[in-house]
Amino acid sequence: MKELQDLARKLLNDGTVKVVIGYEEGARGVRPAFITDAKQAGKLIFDKRCVQNLAAYLNPRRKQVAQLGTPAVVVKGCDARAVAGLIREKQIERDKVVIIAVRCGGVLENPETDSELTSETVSVRCGGCDVREPKLHDHLVGELPPAPPVNNHREEQIAALKKLSSADRWSYWTEQLSRCIRCHACREACPMCFCVQCTAEKTQPQWIDPSATPRANRAWQTMRVLHQAGRCVDCLECERACPEHIPLGLLARYVADSVERRFDYKACEDPAVAAPLGVYKTNDDEEFIR
Amino acid sequence: MTHRFLSHASLTALVAELVAAKTRVIAPVRAQDDPEQVDYRPIHKLEDAALGVRLTRGSLKEFFLPPTEVLLHYKQTKEGVEIREVPTEAPPQVILGSTPCDAAALEVVDKVMGWDYRDELWFGRRAASTIVSLLCTAMDSTCFCTATGLGPDSFRGSDALLVPVEGGYLANVITPKGEALLQKYAEADESMKASAEAAQGEARQKEEKNLAAIPPEFSAWLATNFDNPIWKTIALRCHGCGACAGVCPTCHCFDIVDEHDTADEGVRRRNWDSCQTSKFTLHASGHNPRQSQSERFRQRIQHKFSIYPSRFAEILCTGCGRCTRACPGGMDLPKLLDELMTLAKSEAKSSEPKGSSL
Amino acid sequence: MNIYQPHLMRIREITDETVDTRTLKLEFQDSKVAEEFQFSAGQFGEYSVFGEGESTFCIASPPTRTGYIECSFKASGKVTLALRRLAVGDTLGFRGPYGNHFPIEEMKGHSAVFIAGGIGLAPVRCAILNVLDLRGQFKDVTIIYGARTVGDLVYKRELEEWAKRSDLKLCLAVDPGGETPDWKGLVARIPTAVEQAVSTAEDTFAVICGPPIMIKFTLPVLAKLGFPGERIYTTLENRMKCGLGKCGRCNIGPTYVCKDGPVFTAAQIRELPQEF
Repeated sequence: MKELQDLARKLLNDGTVKVVIGYEEGARGVRPAFITDAKQAGKLIFDKRCVQNLAAYLNPRRKQVAQLGTPAVVVKGCDARAVAGLIREKQIERDKVVIIAVRCGGVLENPETDSELTSETVSVRCGGCDVREPKLHDHLVGELPPAPPVNNHREEQIAALKKLSSADRWSYWTEQLSRCIRCHACREACPMCFCVQCTAEKTQPQWIDPSATPRANRAWQTMRVLHQAGRCVDCLECERACPEHIPLGLLARYVADSVERRFDYKACEDPAVAAPLGVYKTNDDEEFIR
Repeated sequence: MTHRFLSHASLTALVAELVAAKTRVIAPVRAQDDPEQVDYRPIHKLEDAALGVRLTRGSLKEFFLPPTEVLLHYKQTKEGVEIREVPTEAPPQVILGSTPCDAAALEVVDKVMGWDYRDELWFGRRAASTIVSLLCTAMDSTCFCTATGLGPDSFRGSDALLVPVEGGYLANVITPKGEALLQKYAEADESMKASAEAAQGEARQKEEKNLAAIPPEFSAWLATNFDNPIWKTIALRCHGCGACAGVCPTCHCFDIVDEHDTADEGVRRRNWDSCQTSKFTLHASGHNPRQSQSERFRQRIQHKFSIYPSRFAEILCTGCGRCTRACPGGMDLPKLLDELMTLAKSEAKSSEPKGSSL
Repeated sequence: MNIYQPHLMRIREITDETVDTRTLKLEFQDSKVAEEFQFSAGQFGEYSVFGEGESTFCIASPPTRTGYIECSFKASGKVTLALRRLAVGDTLGFRGPYGNHFPIEEMKGHSAVFIAGGIGLAPVRCAILNVLDLRGQFKDVTIIYGARTVGDLVYKRELEEWAKRSDLKLCLAVDPGGETPDWKGLVARIPTAVEQAVSTAEDTFAVICGPPIMIKFTLPVLAKLGFPGERIYTTLENRMKCGLGKCGRCNIGPTYVCKDGPVFTAAQIRELPQEF
């Protein structure tokens, strides 16, 4: 942590950045920090409660953050994939952000508990993590902790879903999505949802009804998760944000698995590697055309 | 106001009778996705309920102002358009075990729903509901009902308030509706008042630790500090996601949209909406009076703690703390209010505005 | 019937004011409503195309003319484009009248200056016609109206009628470059036209509507002439949905445009937070 704090202090003092976006201790646990004064750099922390993906604050639509000036952002490996995505899709320029990557040994599914990392308490996204030492960075800080325990809950959920008939899967998701109130918190919290005008907000034509009805909820969530296909970094911000506790991360992961199978691709840290649904290749698999 | 004793057995029987009579009974129920949490849901018997466990994740709002609600049905015909009205009378419902903050919120929102134009869809559901709240003892550090002038034993908005005592509950019967509901199953009994009041006092003391009372001058300070530099830094971590508005018992802002069911028929609906979304105030011309989250968050605080009070003499907040619990970005309303109130007090002494340390 | 339910209206007449601005003359399908309907100049309504949605416009016809109401709009979004697709005889919905109104009663016995730019003439036209229908109750009436080009001038029918009257002063203007070879009016922006056409603020009310930039540069001209902020009336728009104070959308600080407006004095606007 001292390494991180010293680095932040230096970057602010020498004017490289105007704000360091990291994590700090709030009254109720870890929360995002926006350090603009080098004297406050001591507030920065990093531990297993640092769940939130801070890449969302790099979204150019966040005017109040953009106004602060050139940012440095503290990222775990999974978060770095989101930063790579924003660079890949030309939302930010690589040389306009300083990436402070932290070596990570996993985060808690429920950071409020501040418990030990076990296979029960670790986040479902940490299993099989291959970016504990992130590759996309300007600075790499921290000691490399041991690999996180594996939480198989997500794999079990996906396996169970795959066993269902498609009619039963349809019923399952209709029921889960019936709680959706169309607040779009999932979209706002997602680092990869940066569209200035979301498809769901277009009125000419009205592709998707804005009301919280079963058909509109299904349309909204399936559209969003398909727009995320190949781009979603499995940070689970959507699920954390959802006030109705809908398992949105499960839906996103289900689609990500599909993308991996079909295109042999996972959202990665290299901005130069194009996401499969973002490029056209003449040898794209066309087995779905019959 | 009278007192009655309601035993657990009697409450079980009361719920059974209501359910048999097709009255919807809503109570806190353990959540399917996380049994540690509770949500307000319809129950079929008292055992389904988890009373007094902790604050529910969502508020009572959805049972009075649904997330989506049909305002009218229309049908295009050769002659023109036919409108089919929606009923404003609602089927009877009993809310059991609500927290006083949620019951009070309904009375607070009544003010805007009755402002000059009477919203019969809201008041139809209000008239059809009997609300039996439960003394709140499961407060955590996030809630602050006492700061908004309420308390864990507040009567506002409730038809009866139950206080757990030995063998059951002491029912404070507040309204004729409460009397009508309880008189068959609960005997008049003033004997347990003292022990109930002790429990109430204890709960109030615990809650008061969380946030000092919001002073009446706060509303005016907010109005004159619209341009205070603190607004630029206080909401940097806010995503503008609107989750806070979804879980908030007093947030009531809505959108009105038309939807086709077929080419000729459809509905006009009103849907939950939130001032935190970027499109809330977007004009057709592309002009947006609230361009960034700083302005939008300012609106949230101003509306709840200054604008609504100046119109209706009510704070549009009952201190339930859900916004803070739900926020994925770490926003913390009681801490924020504390900072703003401290700033207001200090500026009353000096005239130099300060930036936020939050 | 709940408060969100509209009256059914039939389109009696359609007038294309300019290439993109259209006026609809509407009559209530329910004869009882038609007979009882009353409103004041400056009030607005929610006009809807069933299946598309509602849109907010002022009532552009005066309360002195009964049996119909008019609205004028530019097709810019989903609902207004749908309104443009309607034909004479088609049905639409109307909720209203909402909001406050111009101080026609207080203006009686005094003079009035009406200033408008572009489609801003719509709410002002309502006030002008209200005054002209009761002409004897007012002293001097001056109308200053302009647009970017001759083609952008709306209510050309009324402009011709007003030009023929001797009991009012009409000053029409187009922006430099917007004139046609046969243009007989002024070639000047509104602030300049006001300077030329208005000589005194004494005993006079000013009503002004138009693009924000026009208002911004005309208000100092009026101030210089001696109009106090309390005697300059304008309208504010904001994004609206319910139109009746419940949906929480249209407020500027503690002021709700749908309840405390849409008519405001310049003095009131000066007190508002700059969030509009």
